Amino acid sequence: MNPLYDAIFKGMAPLAKTAVQASLDEGKSPQDIIDESMIPAMEAIGKEFEAGRVFVPNLLLSARAMKTALDILKPLMLAEQTTTLGTVVIGTVKGDLHDIGKNLVASMLEGRGFQVINLGTDVSKERFIEAAKEHNADIIAMSALLTTTMDYMKEVVDAVKADGLNVKTMIGGAPVTAEFAASIGADGFSTNANEAVEVAKKLLS
Amino acid sequence: MIERAFQITPEELPEKEVWFAMGYRDSVPDERVRELVLQLRDRLVPEATLRYMYQIVEAEKLSPRQVRFDGKTFTPEGIICSYLKGMTHALLFIGTAGWEFDRAKEALKAEDDIVADFIADSIGSVLAEMTVARMEKEYDGPGTLSMPYSPGYCNWNIREQHLLFSLFPERPCGVILSDSSLMTPEKSVSGFFALGETLQRQPYHCQICKNTKCYKRRKG
Repeated sequence: MNPLYDAIFKGMAPLAKTAVQASLDEGKSPQDIIDESMIPAMEAIGKEFEAGRVFVPNLLLSARAMKTALDILKPLMLAEQTTTLGTVVIGTVKGDLHDIGKNLVASMLEGRGFQVINLGTDVSKERFIEAAKEHNADIIAMSALLTTTMDYMKEVVDAVKADGLNVKTMIGGAPVTAEFAASIGADGFSTNANEAVEVAKKLLS
Repeated sequence: MIERAFQITPEELPEKEVWFAMGYRDSVPDERVRELVLQLRDRLVPEATLRYMYQIVEAEKLSPRQVRFDGKTFTPEGIICSYLKGMTHALLFIGTAGWEFDRAKEALKAEDDIVADFIADSIGSVLAEMTVARMEKEYDGPGTLSMPYSPGYCNWNIREQHLLFSLFPERPCGVILSDSSLMTPEKSVSGFFALGETLQRQPYHCQICKNTKCYKRRKG
């Protein structure tokens, strides 16, 4: 029986808040709470999604519960050595203002242990690179919903290479395919938010 | 050119279409998600004024890839053109969930609740589609209407949206088209219905299309 795990798996934010406080009161460290309860719960809901037993809103409810719990733990973690899977700078590329899919990916990445820097929409290549440098990012993740804006992803990938930045690139969005990702030299591609986490983990393994 | 604006009550929003837009396809969301949909429906729908504009123009299928609307050549490509046999006219349209809905959705975003954002986005998609359904219902002229087709779908290059917009007054229904063919308000639709005395309405194209890489088949 793990109330925090259950609260996050079921997407119950108020229960997650209570449960994370109870775990702290028991003397557990924030990192142990994240590693032993929260990330396993997010992984489990992700697997349910992949199996078609739950849907996007369930993923989001879990991500929201995870965020509620993380908001309590984060201030406590500043004082101690903490680990993340890596840092991801994410944004919707220049010319495109769609952000639902990108925010979904950002939430899932954060929920599974990545530090996420969300740059919003209409993001230029300069801004991606600047943020990647500023936050010492491991991955630049780009989203586009339009065939007209997905071409800008190539400009970002080319700019990253030209800059010599040691960062992986991954892309996603409705019109994006594996073939397109390969053609522009992106390191990773995913068709949905849950898969994006697996792709990001693989890129850094 | 016909232009209309209308509002709907929250109860008129087809709930199952919202679920579909949220990725449920033939499944039913659990009770908590259904309740969230209803809460957001009640909050957002009264804010929305839906708008649409349409015109009927002469149309001709030029080749397996191309058509002519009102003297201008469009290239909707093979999937769409295969459904246009018998087309003599086209009903060109632009519809939108409107700026009022856009602003209500933005206000919701400030609350930093990704679940609500996602549901609101799906509600907006359904509202925009309702303008298309309204136009279709409103048309009572001769001939048969095809399904609606839009740039950006079924291999039709989204850039042709600029050509389509060139046949309408500037900022039709308040909709702005960017250089990258992005419409704002975000929840807007544009396209055409083919029209003809001998035209046969085909089933919805996703049911017969063989494009396995289309994003419409993806989940999440």
